[in-house]
Amino acid sequence: MTDPIIRFDNVTYSYPGTEEPALRDIDLSIMPGEYVAILGLNGAGKTTLGLCVNGVVPTMLGGTLEGTVTVNGLDVEEYPVREMAKLVGMVFDNPEFQMSQMSVAEEVALGLENAGVAYDEMVRIIPETLALVGLSGFEERSPLGLSGGQQQRLAIAAVLAMKPQILIMDEPTSNLDPIGKQEVFEIAAKLNREAGMTVVVIEHEVEVMAQYADRVIVIDHGRVIMNGSPAEIFAQVDKLTELGLRAPEAAVLAETLRADGFWKGATPTTTEPAVAAVRDLIGAPRG
Amino acid sequence: MADPKAIEVTKARFVYPSGHVVALDDVDLTIEHGEIVGIIGQNGSGKTTLTKLFNGLLKPTSGSVVVNGIDTAGKSVQEMAAHVGYVFQNPNHQLFARTVEAELQFGPRNIGVSEEEIAERVARAVEFFGLKDVLEEHPYRVSFPIRKLVGIASIVTMQPSILILDEPSTGQDHQTTHIINDLMRRLREDGTTVVCVSHDMPLLADVVERVVVMKNTQIIADASPREVFADEPLMARTNLQAPQITQIAMQTVVPLGGPVALTPRELADDIEQRAGAKKTARKPVAAQKGAAS
Amino acid sequence: MTMTAALPISMIPGDSVIHRINPIAKLIWVVGYIVLAFATQNILILGVMAVVAFLVGIIAGVVKPLLKAMIILIPIGSSLLALQIIAPAVERPWTQVGSIGPLALYGDGLYYGLVLLGRIVASLIIALVVVMTTHPSDLFTSLAKLKMPYTLNFMLAMTLQLIPVFQREFGIIMSAQKSRGMKGTGFSAVLPSFVPVFVGAIERVQQLSISLESRGFGSNGFKTSYRQVKVRARDWIIGGIGVIVIAGLSAYSIYRGLWSLSAEIQFSPEFVTGLFLVSALAFFGTIAVTIAYSFKKS
Repeated sequence: MTDPIIRFDNVTYSYPGTEEPALRDIDLSIMPGEYVAILGLNGAGKTTLGLCVNGVVPTMLGGTLEGTVTVNGLDVEEYPVREMAKLVGMVFDNPEFQMSQMSVAEEVALGLENAGVAYDEMVRIIPETLALVGLSGFEERSPLGLSGGQQQRLAIAAVLAMKPQILIMDEPTSNLDPIGKQEVFEIAAKLNREAGMTVVVIEHEVEVMAQYADRVIVIDHGRVIMNGSPAEIFAQVDKLTELGLRAPEAAVLAETLRADGFWKGATPTTTEPAVAAVRDLIGAPRG
Repeated sequence: MADPKAIEVTKARFVYPSGHVVALDDVDLTIEHGEIVGIIGQNGSGKTTLTKLFNGLLKPTSGSVVVNGIDTAGKSVQEMAAHVGYVFQNPNHQLFARTVEAELQFGPRNIGVSEEEIAERVARAVEFFGLKDVLEEHPYRVSFPIRKLVGIASIVTMQPSILILDEPSTGQDHQTTHIINDLMRRLREDGTTVVCVSHDMPLLADVVERVVVMKNTQIIADASPREVFADEPLMARTNLQAPQITQIAMQTVVPLGGPVALTPRELADDIEQRAGAKKTARKPVAAQKGAAS
Repeated sequence: MTMTAALPISMIPGDSVIHRINPIAKLIWVVGYIVLAFATQNILILGVMAVVAFLVGIIAGVVKPLLKAMIILIPIGSSLLALQIIAPAVERPWTQVGSIGPLALYGDGLYYGLVLLGRIVASLIIALVVVMTTHPSDLFTSLAKLKMPYTLNFMLAMTLQLIPVFQREFGIIMSAQKSRGMKGTGFSAVLPSFVPVFVGAIERVQQLSISLESRGFGSNGFKTSYRQVKVRARDWIIGGIGVIVIAGLSAYSIYRGLWSLSAEIQFSPEFVTGLFLVSALAFFGTIAVTIAYSFKKS
């Protein structure tokens, strides 16, 4: 049995100067290679949870953390954030706020420079990484002149260059248009499937998460209140609604039909199985 | 002449002065009073440029834009503000007063509304948006979703006859999106014309009566949400995706003559009829209303 | 979507000889120019400096943007000349060469006006040419090599980077305020917009610092550099010549008591009067145009 790559043991955390904890009694294990979606209302503690994994919370932002967060066997509190950078890549919601360099190539180089990677290595890694996110040929462009989707792919490349084992994305597409969204999620899925990278995504769009995630975690008022496969979580349409969240429309359809006595089988969470099941139900030919 | 239209854009072209980038090319669009219109398309397709013509933030390079019978050409943005309310995507660009209350009073005061009337409007907005507890707070001290609502409320108190919402649901959770949804319904009842630029298809499917699709500086489709979402080649060409429920309907009941469903309830009703089973007494499903949006 | 407004003065991409000179060698010349410009009152030296700087601009292929950026010299230069002619900034005695109504016009005033103008013009042209032909990253990489602290260097680069961003943000915020019917023009109208700009800047910096730290920015360990700035023999020579020529001329000029030629060069009364009128007209003309334009804009 492999060990979890991320482990929260009874973690309670409060930001400096606040009484109300942002996270309460979190117990959580994420296995290497998992794709995990984190759902919750704004302010529920999702971002804080993500920031714990590379130690920005509490090492950089202060506050009091009880319990332990272990990443790849290392107690996060004992290592500076910059050390964790080699293990955990973080991508945030506003792509522009992550850009600091004059050119795309230099943006990717930044992490490598900080890690003291030799120049010869860098000229090999940078084009490789840019190719991975579909930004080959953009080396000399200014990051601020790119589209939102391109910027966000660059932000991913900038952390990928350091070859982390974990990629955490905090609402990575909330500022992007549909094409940009698709581009970002396809890259994350590829990294997860082909490179076995552990991916944790904080996201509101349940349809997209149902498509990619192996596991869904729901946070409410700083607590993990639901934790399971997309099918298990999204079948609980009423509970999600109570929490101010929603399930994919495919699941809502199935549960509506179930309540009316028409649906017997499992709850679909994505389009294809829903289509197949509905065709059976109405006696339409499959496919 | 008949009653002026809410918005009448004729052969509008817009070229950004720097760089000679064409942002809009030969756009014709008429919006009647009281219509709720969604504008969709990828970034850079010209959506925001088009809506900025409506309140005079941009003036067409050629062609004309007439709003409530007023040609925007000779008018300043401030003059148009009494007719057209524009809610910016990022509330941080819009808010600056010391308190949420002052923020809500700012707009109507600028356009000369009486103090009594202002107090009334603010009270109504506070009630609707649930801002009672944050009224004395600094707008930047409240959480982002609340700040977004304050941004919208600060325009709603101006009671413009035309309201433009730029990406109102961006970065918002379902709960806040729901409030925005309710707002659009209420505005429709009040007869306000609403133009909503958004990538959020389920939001539009729920409240909008008409969808304008933009691609590469032009309007390439203008129809009801049902017609637009059912046009699979159009959706593919613009890289847009219909709401999941509509996609399921398209692949199941639509070929059999069923509806291009916009909500799970609508599709469920049709499926139940087709499934032919006897209708059992429907148990109330608490989820439906909220989950459908 | 991001639309980055171009700075009025920024790098013009190119591959000229001037572009390829090491940034430090170029920097030596800029500093040298400024030193020499203030170490001499010799109008011939200043004139030659300005001409040489302009020639360098031609070689670099940046004449057009250079002339555009130098428009700013019109109000500065004309006011400077006009004022110096009627009120020289040197010790009396002044030689009066003519008068217009109650205004006495002084020949040595004109000389010192031209000296001041020459200093500004020569230094400005060389500085602009260097800015327009040097990639900022190369400059900062070179500065880092000269042991300039990494963080300070980064801050400078970042600031340069953010100017167009804040210009854009400011534009959006002004639009948002106007859309809410905000009245008035001038400073009082702009003032409320500083709140959102400021808050936006703070949020950006907070987010950026978390993002940078997450990429190992704060590391105290050994750092490498992706930008490789070569120092060729040519760069040593150019830098060396710069140091020698400028140090030599500066020293000699100071030895000659700033080497002023105000006694040798005598302007004819017609020339002084004519130049005074042209300068005064240019100065007031610029002001009038600016005012008219700002009214039209609002």
